[in-house]
Amino acid sequence: MTTDDDTTLWWARYRAAGPQRVAPASAYPAGMTRLVEPDASAVWLLPALPDNARPDVLDELGLAGVAVDQPNDTARVLAACLRCCWTEPSGPVWPAAPAPYDQVVAVFRAVTGNRDERALHAAAMGAARRLAGAGWVLFDEDARVVRLGPRVASWSAAELSTLRELWRSMPAPEREA
Amino acid sequence: MTAGPELTLDQLAGDAAVERLYRQVFAVLARESGAMISDVELLDVDEAILDAFADAGRDGLTVDQAVAACRPIDPGLIHRRFEVLRDYGAISKVVERPHERFHRAAFAPYVMLLFLRRLAEQGGQAELHQLLTLEHVSVTAPDAGPETGQTTISRLTRIFRHLGNELAILAAGSTAEQLGDHAQLLWGNKGLISQAEEVHTVVLTRWPQLDRECTALRIALAAYGDAVEKAAGRLIEQAGTTRALGLLSVETWLSFARTASEDDLAGVLDTFVFDAPAPWFSPNLLTEAVESGRSAATVRQPPPRPEGSAPPPPDDLRPADDATGLRETAERLLNSGDGDTVAVAAVLDGVGDWLAARRVLADLTAIHHHPDLEYELTWSDGFRVDPERSPAWASEGTFRRTA
Repeated sequence: MTTDDDTTLWWARYRAAGPQRVAPASAYPAGMTRLVEPDASAVWLLPALPDNARPDVLDELGLAGVAVDQPNDTARVLAACLRCCWTEPSGPVWPAAPAPYDQVVAVFRAVTGNRDERALHAAAMGAARRLAGAGWVLFDEDARVVRLGPRVASWSAAELSTLRELWRSMPAPEREA
Repeated sequence: MTAGPELTLDQLAGDAAVERLYRQVFAVLARESGAMISDVELLDVDEAILDAFADAGRDGLTVDQAVAACRPIDPGLIHRRFEVLRDYGAISKVVERPHERFHRAAFAPYVMLLFLRRLAEQGGQAELHQLLTLEHVSVTAPDAGPETGQTTISRLTRIFRHLGNELAILAAGSTAEQLGDHAQLLWGNKGLISQAEEVHTVVLTRWPQLDRECTALRIALAAYGDAVEKAAGRLIEQAGTTRALGLLSVETWLSFARTASEDDLAGVLDTFVFDAPAPWFSPNLLTEAVESGRSAATVRQPPPRPEGSAPPPPDDLRPADDATGLRETAERLLNSGDGDTVAVAAVLDGVGDWLAARRVLADLTAIHHHPDLEYELTWSDGFRVDPERSPAWASEGTFRRTA
Protein backbone atom coordinates (compact mmCIF):
# COMPACT_ATOMS: atom_id res chain seq x y z
CA MET A 1 0.00 0.00 0.00
CA THR A 2 1.17 3.54 -0.50
CA THR A 3 1.42 6.32 2.00
CA ASP A 4 -0.68 9.45 2.04
CA ASP A 5 2.16 11.45 0.59
CA ASP A 6 2.41 9.10 -2.35
CA THR A 7 -1.29 9.35 -2.97
CA THR A 8 -1.09 13.12 -2.89
CA LEU A 9 1.76 13.07 -5.35
CA TRP A 10 -0.12 10.78 -7.71
CA TRP A 11 -3.10 13.09 -7.70
CA ALA A 12 -0.89 16.08 -8.29
CA ARG A 13 0.78 14.26 -11.18
CA TYR A 14 -2.57 13.45 -12.70
CA ARG A 15 -3.76 17.00 -12.41
CA ALA A 16 -0.58 18.41 -13.83
CA ALA A 17 0.12 15.90 -16.59
CA GLY A 18 -3.05 13.94 -17.26
CA PRO A 19 -3.49 10.17 -17.01
CA GLN A 20 -0.35 8.41 -15.87
CA ARG A 21 1.11 5.42 -17.64
CA VAL A 22 2.92 3.07 -15.28
CA ALA A 23 4.30 -0.43 -15.30
CA PRO A 24 1.61 -3.04 -14.64
CA ALA A 25 3.15 -4.28 -11.41
CA SER A 26 3.78 -0.91 -9.81
CA ALA A 27 1.96 0.27 -6.74
CA TYR A 28 -0.96 2.56 -7.32
CA PRO A 29 -2.65 5.01 -4.99
CA ALA A 30 -6.07 4.84 -3.49
CA GLY A 31 -8.96 6.27 -5.47
CA MET A 32 -7.48 5.65 -8.86
CA THR A 33 -8.81 3.34 -11.53
CA ARG A 34 -6.34 1.09 -13.29
CA LEU A 35 -6.86 0.85 -17.01
CA VAL A 36 -4.87 -2.05 -18.40
CA GLU A 37 -3.59 -1.77 -21.92
CA PRO A 38 -4.97 -4.48 -24.20
CA ASP A 39 -1.63 -6.25 -24.33
CA ALA A 40 -1.15 -5.76 -20.58
CA SER A 41 2.15 -3.99 -21.20
CA ALA A 42 1.23 -0.97 -19.12
CA VAL A 43 -1.43 0.47 -16.90
CA TRP A 44 -3.03 3.87 -17.05
CA LEU A 45 -4.01 5.47 -13.79
CA LEU A 46 -7.18 7.50 -13.91
CA PRO A 47 -8.78 9.02 -10.82
CA ALA A 48 -12.20 7.72 -9.91
CA LEU A 49 -13.96 10.97 -9.15
CA PRO A 50 -17.21 11.15 -7.19
CA ASP A 51 -20.22 12.36 -9.14
CA ASN A 52 -20.20 15.84 -7.70
CA ALA A 53 -16.53 16.48 -8.39
CA ARG A 54 -16.35 15.65 -12.06
CA PRO A 55 -15.46 18.19 -14.73
CA ASP A 56 -19.05 18.40 -15.96
CA VAL A 57 -19.96 20.08 -12.67
CA LEU A 58 -18.55 23.20 -14.31
CA ASP A 59 -21.41 23.06 -16.81
CA GLU A 60 -23.97 22.84 -14.05
CA LEU A 61 -22.40 25.82 -12.33
CA GLY A 62 -22.27 27.73 -15.56
CA LEU A 63 -18.51 28.13 -15.37
CA ALA A 64 -16.14 27.97 -18.28
CA GLY A 65 -13.95 24.92 -18.42
CA VAL A 66 -10.56 24.65 -20.04
CA ALA A 67 -10.75 26.34 -23.39
CA VAL A 68 -9.78 24.34 -26.44
CA ASP A 69 -9.07 25.60 -29.92
CA GLN A 70 -11.85 24.97 -32.42
CA PRO A 71 -14.01 23.17 -29.87
CA ASN A 72 -16.61 22.02 -32.36
CA ASP A 73 -14.22 20.40 -34.81
CA THR A 74 -12.30 18.84 -31.96
CA ALA A 75 -15.47 17.39 -30.52
CA ARG A 76 -16.47 16.09 -33.97
CA VAL A 77 -13.13 14.37 -34.43
CA LEU A 78 -13.48 12.81 -31.00
CA ALA A 79 -16.93 11.60 -31.97
CA ALA A 80 -15.49 10.20 -35.21
CA CYS A 81 -12.75 8.41 -33.26
CA LEU A 82 -15.40 7.04 -30.97
CA ARG A 83 -17.40 5.79 -33.94
CA CYS A 84 -14.39 4.12 -35.50
CA CYS A 85 -12.66 2.70 -32.43
CA TRP A 86 -15.58 1.68 -30.25
CA THR A 87 -16.38 -1.44 -32.18
CA GLU A 88 -18.54 -2.95 -29.46
CA PRO A 89 -20.79 -0.12 -28.28
CA SER A 90 -22.66 -2.43 -25.97
CA GLY A 91 -19.51 -2.96 -23.95
CA PRO A 92 -17.17 -0.63 -22.09
CA VAL A 93 -15.44 2.11 -23.99
CA TRP A 94 -11.96 1.11 -22.82
CA PRO A 95 -9.93 -0.48 -24.32
CA ALA A 96 -11.25 0.16 -27.79
CA ALA A 97 -9.81 -1.16 -31.00
CA PRO A 98 -7.30 0.83 -32.99
CA ALA A 99 -8.59 2.38 -36.19
CA PRO A 100 -6.81 3.82 -39.20
CA TYR A 101 -6.65 7.56 -39.18
CA ASP A 102 -8.05 7.76 -42.71
CA GLN A 103 -11.18 6.02 -41.50
CA VAL A 104 -11.58 8.66 -38.80
CA VAL A 105 -11.14 11.37 -41.40
CA ALA A 106 -13.76 9.72 -43.57
CA VAL A 107 -16.28 9.74 -40.74
CA PHE A 108 -15.32 13.30 -39.89
CA ARG A 109 -15.92 14.24 -43.51
CA ALA A 110 -19.30 12.54 -43.39
CA VAL A 111 -20.40 14.51 -40.33
CA THR A 112 -19.06 17.83 -41.52
CA GLY A 113 -20.33 17.69 -45.09
CA ASN A 114 -18.78 19.20 -48.15
CA ARG A 115 -15.82 21.12 -46.94
CA ASP A 116 -12.69 21.98 -48.78
CA GLU A 117 -10.48 18.87 -48.66
CA ARG A 118 -7.37 20.68 -47.45
CA ALA A 119 -9.28 22.54 -44.75
CA LEU A 120 -10.89 19.28 -43.71
CA HIS A 121 -7.56 17.49 -43.34
CA ALA A 122 -6.01 20.41 -41.50
CA ALA A 123 -8.95 20.56 -39.09
CA ALA A 124 -8.91 16.80 -38.52
CA MET A 125 -5.16 16.64 -37.92
CA GLY A 126 -5.20 19.62 -35.57
CA ALA A 127 -8.09 18.19 -33.62
CA ALA A 128 -6.48 14.74 -33.43
CA ARG A 129 -3.26 16.24 -32.08
CA ARG A 130 -5.15 18.30 -29.54
CA LEU A 131 -7.08 15.25 -28.40
CA ALA A 132 -3.89 13.21 -28.19
CA GLY A 133 -2.25 15.93 -26.13
CA ALA A 134 -5.07 15.83 -23.62
CA GLY A 135 -5.19 12.04 -23.43
CA TRP A 136 -8.55 11.61 -25.12
CA VAL A 137 -7.10 9.61 -27.96
CA LEU A 138 -3.80 7.87 -28.57
CA PHE A 139 -2.62 8.95 -31.97
CA ASP A 140 0.30 7.25 -33.63
CA GLU A 141 1.08 9.80 -36.29
CA ASP A 142 3.65 7.69 -38.15
CA ALA A 143 1.51 4.60 -38.39
CA ARG A 144 -1.61 6.77 -38.85
CA VAL A 145 -3.50 4.76 -36.29
CA VAL A 146 -5.90 6.17 -33.72
CA ARG A 147 -7.02 4.60 -30.47
CA LEU A 148 -9.22 5.94 -27.74
CA GLY A 149 -7.15 7.36 -24.90
CA PRO A 150 -7.46 6.59 -21.20
CA ARG A 151 -9.47 9.69 -20.50
CA VAL A 152 -12.54 8.22 -22.21
CA ALA A 153 -12.86 5.86 -19.27
CA SER A 154 -13.89 8.81 -17.11
CA TRP A 155 -17.28 8.96 -18.86
CA SER A 156 -19.92 7.60 -16.50
CA ALA A 157 -22.44 4.90 -17.36
CA ALA A 158 -25.19 7.48 -17.99
CA GLU A 159 -22.93 9.43 -20.26
CA LEU A 160 -21.99 6.28 -22.12
CA SER A 161 -25.62 5.64 -22.97
CA THR A 162 -25.81 9.13 -24.48
CA LEU A 163 -22.70 8.32 -26.42
CA ARG A 164 -24.24 5.09 -27.66
CA GLU A 165 -27.10 7.13 -29.10
CA LEU A 166 -24.56 9.34 -30.80
CA TRP A 167 -22.67 6.28 -32.01
CA ARG A 168 -25.78 4.89 -33.64
CA SER A 169 -26.66 8.17 -35.27
CA MET A 170 -23.28 8.56 -36.91
CA PRO A 171 -22.38 7.09 -40.29
CA ALA A 172 -20.53 3.82 -40.08
CA PRO A 173 -16.93 3.78 -41.23
CA GLU A 174 -15.99 1.67 -44.18
CA ARG A 175 -14.47 -1.43 -42.69
CA GLU A 176 -11.50 -2.81 -44.43
CA ALA A 177 -11.81 -6.32 -45.65
CA MET B 1 4.96 70.13 35.79
CA THR B 2 3.51 70.26 39.25
CA ALA B 3 5.68 71.71 41.93
CA GLY B 4 4.79 70.41 45.36
CA PRO B 5 5.15 72.77 48.30
CA GLU B 6 7.98 70.73 49.80
CA LEU B 7 10.31 71.13 46.79
CA THR B 8 13.59 72.73 47.62
CA LEU B 9 15.20 75.40 45.52
CA ASP B 10 17.73 72.90 44.19
CA GLN B 11 15.00 70.62 43.03
CA LEU B 12 13.24 73.52 41.35
CA ALA B 13 16.44 74.51 39.60
CA GLY B 14 16.92 70.93 38.43
CA ASP B 15 13.35 70.78 37.15
CA ALA B 16 13.82 74.05 35.36
CA ALA B 17 16.96 72.72 33.66
CA VAL B 18 15.14 69.59 32.51
CA GLU B 19 12.22 71.63 31.30
CA ARG B 20 14.53 73.95 29.38
CA LEU B 21 16.06 70.94 27.67
CA TYR B 22 12.62 69.58 26.79
CA ARG B 23 11.65 72.90 25.34
CA GLN B 24 14.82 73.06 23.27
CA VAL B 25 14.41 69.52 22.04
CA PHE B 26 10.86 70.06 20.95
CA ALA B 27 11.55 73.39 19.32
CA VAL B 28 12.21 71.67 15.99
CA LEU B 29 8.72 70.21 16.08
CA ALA B 30 6.91 73.39 17.03
CA ARG B 31 4.91 75.35 14.52
CA GLU B 32 4.46 78.20 16.94
CA SER B 33 4.11 78.38 20.65
CA GLY B 34 1.96 75.47 21.70
CA ALA B 35 1.37 73.82 18.34
CA MET B 36 3.02 71.01 16.41
CA ILE B 37 4.33 71.54 12.92
CA SER B 38 2.13 70.09 10.24
CA ASP B 39 4.60 70.26 7.40
CA VAL B 40 7.75 68.22 7.00
CA GLU B 41 9.38 71.00 5.04
CA LEU B 42 9.57 73.08 8.22
CA LEU B 43 11.94 70.42 9.56
CA ASP B 44 14.17 71.11 6.57
CA VAL B 45 14.10 74.80 7.41
CA ASP B 46 15.03 74.05 11.02
CA GLU B 47 17.85 71.86 9.87
CA ALA B 48 19.13 74.55 7.52
CA ILE B 49 19.10 77.10 10.34
CA LEU B 50 20.89 74.79 12.75
CA ASP B 51 23.40 73.84 10.03
CA ALA B 52 24.07 77.52 9.48
CA PHE B 53 24.80 77.93 13.19
CA ALA B 54 27.13 74.92 13.13
CA ASP B 55 29.06 76.43 10.22
CA ALA B 56 29.13 79.91 11.74
CA GLY B 57 31.74 79.20 14.36
CA ARG B 58 32.02 80.74 17.78
CA ASP B 59 30.77 84.21 16.95
CA GLY B 60 27.22 83.08 16.41
CA LEU B 61 24.90 84.50 13.82
CA THR B 62 22.54 87.42 13.44
CA VAL B 63 19.11 86.76 12.01
CA ASP B 64 20.12 88.30 8.71
CA GLN B 65 23.24 86.20 8.50
CA ALA B 66 21.16 83.11 9.14
CA VAL B 67 18.76 84.13 6.38
CA ALA B 68 21.70 84.67 4.03
CA ALA B 69 23.19 81.30 4.93
CA CYS B 70 19.94 79.53 4.14
CA ARG B 71 19.55 81.46 0.94
CA PRO B 72 17.35 79.35 -1.32
CA ILE B 73 14.70 79.22 1.37
CA ASP B 74 12.17 82.00 1.65
CA PRO B 75 13.55 84.68 4.05
CA GLY B 76 10.14 85.22 5.62
CA LEU B 77 9.97 81.54 6.48
CA ILE B 78 13.44 81.64 8.01
CA HIS B 79 12.45 84.65 10.11
CA ARG B 80 9.38 82.90 11.42
CA ARG B 81 11.19 79.66 12.24
CA PHE B 82 13.96 81.66 13.86
CA GLU B 83 11.43 83.28 16.16
CA VAL B 84 9.85 79.95 17.03
CA LEU B 85 13.22 78.37 17.79
CA ARG B 86 14.12 81.36 19.93
CA ASP B 87 10.82 81.13 21.80
CA TYR B 88 11.64 77.58 22.73
CA GLY B 89 15.21 78.39 23.69
CA ALA B 90 16.76 76.35 20.91
CA ILE B 91 18.40 79.58 19.80
CA SER B 92 19.35 82.22 22.32
CA LYS B 93 21.27 85.44 22.38
CA VAL B 94 25.03 85.13 22.78
CA VAL B 95 24.91 87.61 25.61
CA GLU B 96 21.61 88.22 27.30
CA ARG B 97 21.16 91.97 26.86
CA PRO B 98 18.90 94.28 24.90
CA HIS B 99 19.79 94.84 21.24
CA GLU B 100 22.12 91.87 21.14
CA ARG B 101 22.20 90.78 17.53
CA PHE B 102 24.22 87.60 17.65
CA HIS B 103 22.65 84.29 18.56
CA ARG B 104 23.91 80.85 19.45
CA ALA B 105 22.16 77.53 18.97
CA ALA B 106 21.84 74.68 21.47
CA PHE B 107 22.98 71.24 20.34
CA ALA B 108 20.05 69.27 21.80
CA PRO B 109 17.55 70.33 19.09
CA TYR B 110 19.93 69.18 16.39
CA VAL B 111 20.34 65.78 18.03
CA MET B 112 16.58 65.58 18.27
CA LEU B 113 16.32 66.46 14.60
CA LEU B 114 18.66 63.62 13.68
CA PHE B 115 16.62 61.19 15.74
CA LEU B 116 13.41 62.39 14.16
CA ARG B 117 14.85 61.92 10.70
CA ARG B 118 15.90 58.38 11.45
CA LEU B 119 12.61 57.57 13.12
CA ALA B 120 10.74 58.93 10.14
CA GLU B 121 12.80 56.83 7.75
CA GLN B 122 12.74 53.54 9.60
CA GLY B 123 9.75 53.75 11.87
CA GLY B 124 11.75 53.47 15.05
CA GLN B 125 12.83 49.93 14.47
CA ALA B 126 16.53 50.74 14.27
CA GLU B 127 16.25 52.95 17.33
CA LEU B 128 14.67 50.10 19.19
CA HIS B 129 17.55 47.85 18.26
CA GLN B 130 20.02 50.49 19.41
CA LEU B 131 18.11 50.99 22.60
CA LEU B 132 18.21 47.29 23.30
CA THR B 133 21.94 47.23 22.62
CA LEU B 134 22.42 50.17 24.99
CA GLU B 135 20.35 48.45 27.65
CA HIS B 136 22.40 45.33 27.18
CA VAL B 137 25.58 47.34 27.62
CA SER B 138 24.25 49.06 30.70
CA VAL B 139 23.13 45.89 32.47
CA THR B 140 26.38 44.08 31.68
CA ALA B 141 28.48 46.99 32.90
CA PRO B 142 30.48 45.86 35.96
CA ASP B 143 29.28 48.75 38.12
CA ALA B 144 25.58 48.28 37.35
CA GLY B 145 23.34 47.62 40.32
CA PRO B 146 19.97 45.97 40.69
CA GLU B 147 18.28 49.35 40.23
CA THR B 148 19.75 49.63 36.74
CA GLY B 149 18.47 46.18 35.96
CA GLN B 150 15.04 47.00 37.28
CA THR B 151 14.67 50.21 35.31
CA THR B 152 15.97 48.52 32.21
CA ILE B 153 13.57 45.64 32.54
CA SER B 154 10.57 47.85 33.21
CA ARG B 155 11.45 50.08 30.26
CA LEU B 156 11.67 47.11 27.94
CA THR B 157 8.43 45.72 29.32
CA ARG B 158 6.68 48.97 28.49
CA ILE B 159 8.15 49.15 25.01
CA PHE B 160 7.06 45.66 24.11
CA ARG B 161 3.65 46.17 25.64
CA HIS B 162 3.24 49.24 23.46
CA LEU B 163 4.32 47.36 20.38
CA GLY B 164 2.22 44.33 21.15
CA ASN B 165 -0.90 46.32 22.03
CA GLU B 166 -0.75 48.44 18.92
CA LEU B 167 -0.29 45.43 16.70
CA ALA B 168 -2.93 43.33 18.43
CA ILE B 169 -5.51 46.09 18.10
CA LEU B 170 -4.63 46.57 14.46
CA ALA B 171 -4.74 42.85 13.77
CA ALA B 172 -8.11 42.50 15.43
CA GLY B 173 -9.97 45.44 14.01
CA SER B 174 -8.37 47.17 11.07
CA THR B 175 -8.44 46.63 7.35
CA ALA B 176 -5.65 44.81 5.63
CA GLU B 177 -4.44 48.03 4.09
CA GLN B 178 -4.06 49.71 7.47
CA LEU B 179 -2.27 46.65 8.70
CA GLY B 180 0.02 46.82 5.73
CA ASP B 181 0.84 50.44 6.52
CA HIS B 182 1.97 49.39 9.96
CA ALA B 183 3.71 46.30 8.73
CA GLN B 184 7.06 47.74 9.72
CA LEU B 185 6.19 46.71 13.26
CA LEU B 186 6.38 43.17 11.99
CA TRP B 187 9.80 43.25 10.43
CA GLY B 188 12.85 42.16 12.35
CA ASN B 189 10.75 41.35 15.37
CA LYS B 190 12.63 38.09 15.85
CA GLY B 191 15.80 40.10 16.30
CA LEU B 192 14.10 42.48 18.71
CA ILE B 193 12.68 39.68 20.79
CA SER B 194 15.92 37.76 20.96
CA GLN B 195 17.83 40.92 21.88
CA ALA B 196 15.32 41.61 24.63
CA GLU B 197 15.64 38.02 25.80
CA GLU B 198 19.40 38.42 26.03
CA VAL B 199 18.99 41.46 28.25
CA HIS B 200 16.45 39.54 30.26
CA THR B 201 18.85 36.61 30.75
CA VAL B 202 21.66 38.88 31.84
CA VAL B 203 19.44 40.64 34.37
CA LEU B 204 17.95 37.45 35.69
CA THR B 205 21.32 35.78 36.22
CA ARG B 206 22.91 38.85 37.78
CA TRP B 207 20.05 39.85 40.02
CA PRO B 208 17.76 36.88 40.71
CA GLN B 209 15.65 39.06 43.01
CA LEU B 210 14.25 40.83 39.91
CA ASP B 211 12.32 37.70 39.04
CA ARG B 212 8.95 39.42 39.11
CA GLU B 213 9.97 42.18 36.70
CA CYS B 214 11.55 39.62 34.42
CA THR B 215 8.33 37.64 34.35
CA ALA B 216 6.47 40.77 33.27
CA LEU B 217 8.98 41.26 30.48
CA ARG B 218 8.61 37.65 29.37
CA ILE B 219 4.85 38.07 29.24
CA ALA B 220 5.16 41.27 27.25
CA LEU B 221 7.53 39.61 24.81
CA ALA B 222 5.24 36.62 24.37
CA ALA B 223 2.26 38.93 23.83
CA TYR B 224 4.22 40.85 21.22
CA GLY B 225 5.20 37.62 19.50
CA ASP B 226 1.58 36.48 19.45
CA ALA B 227 0.42 39.80 18.06
CA VAL B 228 3.04 39.59 15.33
CA GLU B 229 1.94 36.08 14.42
CA LYS B 230 -1.67 37.10 14.34
CA ALA B 231 -1.10 40.22 12.27
CA ALA B 232 1.23 38.41 9.91
CA GLY B 233 -1.31 35.63 9.59
CA ARG B 234 -3.98 38.11 8.64
CA LEU B 235 -1.70 39.81 6.17
CA ILE B 236 -0.77 36.52 4.56
CA GLU B 237 -4.39 35.47 4.44
CA GLN B 238 -5.32 38.74 2.77
CA ALA B 239 -2.37 38.54 0.45
CA GLY B 240 -3.32 35.00 -0.46
CA THR B 241 -6.86 35.92 -1.38
CA THR B 242 -6.52 39.38 -2.78
CA ARG B 243 -3.09 39.09 -4.37
CA ALA B 244 -2.61 42.54 -2.88
CA LEU B 245 1.12 42.68 -3.30
CA GLY B 246 1.02 46.23 -2.05
CA LEU B 247 0.58 44.94 1.47
CA LEU B 248 4.33 44.59 1.63
CA SER B 249 6.74 47.17 0.36
CA VAL B 250 8.21 46.60 -3.08
CA GLU B 251 11.68 46.36 -1.62
CA THR B 252 10.61 43.52 0.62
CA TRP B 253 9.37 41.51 -2.33
CA LEU B 254 12.44 42.32 -4.37
CA SER B 255 14.88 41.39 -1.67
CA PHE B 256 12.97 38.19 -1.04
CA ALA B 257 13.06 37.29 -4.70
CA ARG B 258 16.77 38.04 -4.91
CA THR B 259 17.94 36.39 -1.76
CA ALA B 260 15.60 33.44 -1.45
CA SER B 261 16.84 29.96 -2.22
CA GLU B 262 15.10 27.83 -4.80
CA ASP B 263 13.30 25.96 -2.07
CA ASP B 264 12.00 29.19 -0.57
CA LEU B 265 10.76 30.37 -3.92
CA ALA B 266 9.14 27.03 -4.64
CA GLY B 267 7.62 27.13 -1.18
CA VAL B 268 5.50 30.06 -2.24
CA LEU B 269 3.57 27.73 -4.52
CA ASP B 270 3.66 24.79 -2.15
CA THR B 271 -0.04 24.56 -1.60
CA PHE B 272 -1.05 25.23 -5.19
CA VAL B 273 -1.76 22.56 -7.75
CA PHE B 274 -2.03 23.61 -11.33
CA ASP B 275 -4.62 21.93 -13.44
CA ALA B 276 -3.42 20.54 -16.68
CA PRO B 277 -5.04 22.30 -19.59
CA ALA B 278 -6.99 19.22 -20.59
CA PRO B 279 -10.40 20.01 -22.00
CA TRP B 280 -13.40 17.99 -20.95
CA PHE B 281 -15.77 16.72 -23.59
CA SER B 282 -19.18 15.85 -22.27
CA PRO B 283 -21.30 13.56 -24.43
CA ASN B 284 -23.81 16.35 -24.87
CA LEU B 285 -21.10 18.54 -26.27
CA LEU B 286 -20.09 15.81 -28.70
CA THR B 287 -23.68 15.29 -29.79
CA GLU B 288 -24.25 18.98 -30.25
CA ALA B 289 -21.08 19.38 -32.24
CA VAL B 290 -21.97 16.49 -34.55
CA GLU B 291 -25.51 17.77 -35.02
CA SER B 292 -24.36 21.28 -35.79
CA GLY B 293 -21.77 19.87 -38.16
CA ARG B 294 -24.53 18.12 -40.06
CA SER B 295 -26.68 21.20 -40.34
CA ALA B 296 -23.70 23.20 -41.46
CA ALA B 297 -23.07 20.49 -44.02
CA THR B 298 -26.19 21.32 -46.00
CA VAL B 299 -25.73 23.11 -49.30
CA ARG B 300 -24.74 26.67 -48.79
CA GLN B 301 -27.72 28.92 -49.39
CA PRO B 302 -27.24 31.51 -52.11
CA PRO B 303 -28.09 35.03 -51.01
CA PRO B 304 -31.74 35.93 -51.59
CA ARG B 305 -32.53 37.20 -55.04
CA PRO B 306 -35.72 38.67 -56.46
CA GLU B 307 -38.00 36.20 -58.21
CA GLY B 308 -38.03 36.11 -62.03
CA SER B 309 -35.99 38.19 -64.41
CA ALA B 310 -35.25 41.68 -63.22
CA PRO B 311 -36.86 44.58 -65.19
CA PRO B 312 -34.34 46.71 -67.04
CA PRO B 313 -33.28 49.76 -65.06
CA PRO B 314 -34.80 53.12 -66.06
CA ASP B 315 -33.22 54.83 -68.99
CA ASP B 316 -31.56 57.61 -67.10
CA LEU B 317 -29.67 55.10 -65.00
CA ARG B 318 -28.19 53.29 -67.98
CA PRO B 319 -24.66 54.26 -68.83
CA ALA B 320 -24.66 56.38 -71.94
CA ASP B 321 -22.47 55.12 -74.72
CA ASP B 322 -22.00 57.84 -77.29
CA ALA B 323 -19.20 56.08 -79.18
CA THR B 324 -20.98 56.33 -82.52
CA GLY B 325 -21.71 60.03 -82.07
CA LEU B 326 -18.15 60.69 -81.06
CA ARG B 327 -16.82 58.67 -83.98
CA GLU B 328 -18.90 60.74 -86.39
CA THR B 329 -17.60 63.93 -84.86
CA ALA B 330 -14.03 62.66 -85.06
CA GLU B 331 -14.38 61.68 -88.72
CA ARG B 332 -15.99 64.99 -89.54
CA LEU B 333 -13.16 66.92 -87.88
CA LEU B 334 -10.47 64.78 -89.44
CA ASN B 335 -12.02 65.21 -92.85
CA SER B 336 -11.71 68.95 -92.40
CA GLY B 337 -7.95 68.31 -92.31
CA ASP B 338 -6.06 65.75 -94.38
CA GLY B 339 -8.22 62.83 -93.21
CA ASP B 340 -5.77 61.46 -90.65
CA THR B 341 -4.51 64.47 -88.76
CA VAL B 342 -5.91 67.85 -87.96
CA ALA B 343 -4.51 70.72 -85.92
CA VAL B 344 -6.60 71.62 -82.88
CA ALA B 345 -6.15 75.33 -83.57
CA ALA B 346 -7.56 74.87 -87.07
CA VAL B 347 -10.57 73.02 -85.69
CA LEU B 348 -11.23 75.72 -83.16
CA ASP B 349 -10.90 78.40 -85.84
CA GLY B 350 -13.37 76.51 -87.96
CA VAL B 351 -16.22 76.68 -85.44
CA GLY B 352 -15.98 80.39 -84.82
CA ASP B 353 -16.85 81.59 -81.36
CA TRP B 354 -15.51 80.23 -78.08
CA LEU B 355 -18.85 78.84 -76.89
CA ALA B 356 -18.90 76.41 -79.77
CA ALA B 357 -15.14 75.93 -79.69
CA ARG B 358 -15.11 74.74 -76.13
CA ARG B 359 -17.82 72.21 -76.94
CA VAL B 360 -15.62 70.88 -79.72
CA LEU B 361 -12.68 70.78 -77.35
CA ALA B 362 -14.75 68.74 -74.87
CA ASP B 363 -15.69 66.36 -77.66
CA LEU B 364 -12.05 65.95 -78.65
CA THR B 365 -11.08 65.17 -75.09
CA ALA B 366 -13.91 62.67 -74.77
CA ILE B 367 -12.88 60.96 -78.02
CA HIS B 368 -9.28 60.83 -76.82
CA HIS B 369 -10.28 59.15 -73.56
CA HIS B 370 -12.87 56.77 -74.97
CA PRO B 371 -11.45 53.26 -74.76
CA ASP B 372 -13.15 52.05 -77.95
CA LEU B 373 -12.20 54.91 -80.26
CA GLU B 374 -8.84 54.85 -81.99
CA TYR B 375 -8.17 58.61 -82.07
CA GLU B 376 -5.79 60.58 -79.97
CA LEU B 377 -5.21 64.14 -78.99
CA THR B 378 -1.59 65.19 -78.47
CA TRP B 379 -0.32 68.49 -77.21
CA SER B 380 3.04 70.00 -77.96
CA ASP B 381 4.95 72.96 -76.56
CA GLY B 382 4.25 76.47 -77.72
CA PHE B 383 1.05 78.18 -78.55
CA ARG B 384 -0.41 80.66 -80.91
CA VAL B 385 -1.49 84.06 -79.73
CA ASP B 386 -3.62 86.22 -81.99
CA PRO B 387 -5.91 88.86 -80.46
CA GLU B 388 -7.90 89.09 -83.69
CA ARG B 389 -9.22 85.60 -83.48
CA SER B 390 -11.39 83.72 -81.07
CA PRO B 391 -10.07 82.03 -79.01
CA ALA B 392 -7.30 84.55 -78.83
CA TRP B 393 -4.69 81.93 -77.90
CA ALA B 394 -4.53 78.21 -78.54
CA SER B 395 -1.98 75.55 -77.64
CA GLU B 396 -0.46 73.71 -80.50
CA GLY B 397 -2.10 70.33 -80.55
CA THR B 398 -3.00 67.72 -83.08
CA PHE B 399 -5.90 65.36 -83.28
CA ARG B 400 -5.20 62.23 -85.24
CA ARG B 401 -6.20 58.69 -86.01
CA THR B 402 -4.09 56.09 -84.28
CA ALA B 403 -5.15 52.98 -86.11
